[in-house]
Amino acid sequence: MRWVRFAIGLLLALTLHSLLDSFYPNALAFFNPYVILVIYYAMGGNLVGAIFAGIAAGLVQDAYSGAIFGLHAFSLTVVAYAVAYINARLVLRGALVFGACLFGAVIVNELVIWGLVNILLRQRIEMFEQTMIVKAIFTALFGMLVYQLLTLFLREEPIEATRRPAY
Amino acid sequence: MAVPVDVIPRRPTLLLLVVLSLLFVLMSLSSRTRVVGETRTMFERTVMTIFSPVPKTVNWVGQSASDLYHGYLDMRRAVNENVALHRKVIQLTTENLELRQSETDLNRLRSLLGYSEQLSMPTTMAQAIMLDTAGRFKSIIIDRGSSTGVQVNDAVVNAGGLIGRVVLTTKDMAKVQLVTDSNSSVGVLIERTRRQGVLRGDGSGGAQLYDVPSLADIQPGDVVLTAGIDGIYPKGIPVGLVTRAEKGQDLFKNIAVRPSVDFGTIEEVIVLHTRKIPNAVLRYAP
Repeated sequence: MRWVRFAIGLLLALTLHSLLDSFYPNALAFFNPYVILVIYYAMGGNLVGAIFAGIAAGLVQDAYSGAIFGLHAFSLTVVAYAVAYINARLVLRGALVFGACLFGAVIVNELVIWGLVNILLRQRIEMFEQTMIVKAIFTALFGMLVYQLLTLFLREEPIEATRRPAY
Repeated sequence: MAVPVDVIPRRPTLLLLVVLSLLFVLMSLSSRTRVVGETRTMFERTVMTIFSPVPKTVNWVGQSASDLYHGYLDMRRAVNENVALHRKVIQLTTENLELRQSETDLNRLRSLLGYSEQLSMPTTMAQAIMLDTAGRFKSIIIDRGSSTGVQVNDAVVNAGGLIGRVVLTTKDMAKVQLVTDSNSSVGVLIERTRRQGVLRGDGSGGAQLYDVPSLADIQPGDVVLTAGIDGIYPKGIPVGLVTRAEKGQDLFKNIAVRPSVDFGTIEEVIVLHTRKIPNAVLRYAP
């Protein structure tokens, strides 16, 4: 069931990505729907699932963006693993906590991307800090809204805790 | 909230490292192909192909919605433009009609004014406000009366020629008997031959010239002017054209005259304040 939700979420994220690309081409510089999806999944605490969720979402994002193929997959996998790792120890729930996780996740995600771009392409990212902060804020706010909507729609806690060994 | 140690899953660190290593290799390949110009690896193409329906659908929906919206906007704009153009056409048509009317009025008033200036007597401009030319008795009502100096027997003309005479006045209106009225008589002469006669209305829109001998040289097309011998109409005002001149049964000719004024189109007129013959003189007149 969680994978079905993830698949639907991935399609919705790609739809949002396409819509924003069509109407507001620069919007994805300040907002990342794939991070929301991956964090939502990773907060279940399933480390292996989080790794595969990060790979899947990241590859789709890479395929439809101008980045090096695998860049976002790498960063999202790292972020997803970290969030899942924390959530395997601490049961973090609620819209505010979800927003805080998203904020941190975006920061980590952007830092990983910045590092990889520096290593692989030896390029500097223009206005990196400002973009990172704005993206973290907007993604966190939008993610909290999505979390609230899911709570209302599903009439239950939208994140199911795995609390079981990964293997 | 802390979770008991026994439920913490084993960390799949090895899996993570393998995955990250593979992704790093993928990135390296991808970054190298970008440099040499091949921007899409086979793996990337595969992912794009699998998910391609989503962006295509989004694009199609977005494009359709955009087309619909812009079509609606264009239609609204066209409708508004059409309404505005219709209003403009109506406005311009009205303006055009007003200008044409003004031009006609201006020409008519110019000719009337020019005609008025030729006359060496006091005049008053008036507007015909009622026109009764259908019955046997032909008359018009003008919007000037005794308060502006209009008197009974004042001659009334326009640019076309003689209209008639004032037969009744009120303070601010006057009735004018037309020359085509069956009770109207005007002393006239033929411009070409100076032959005099009396013009009477026939009651049907025309007039007859009487008292012209059979031997007189009168031809159709001759211009008829006022003779100035009746004490009402000044001399030399155009009255009409001879349309028919036949030998009558008696000593006089039968002469039909078509008035020079189209009485159906009278608007502005000039009232000529003619000098009246004193009653003492009239008393001895034949």
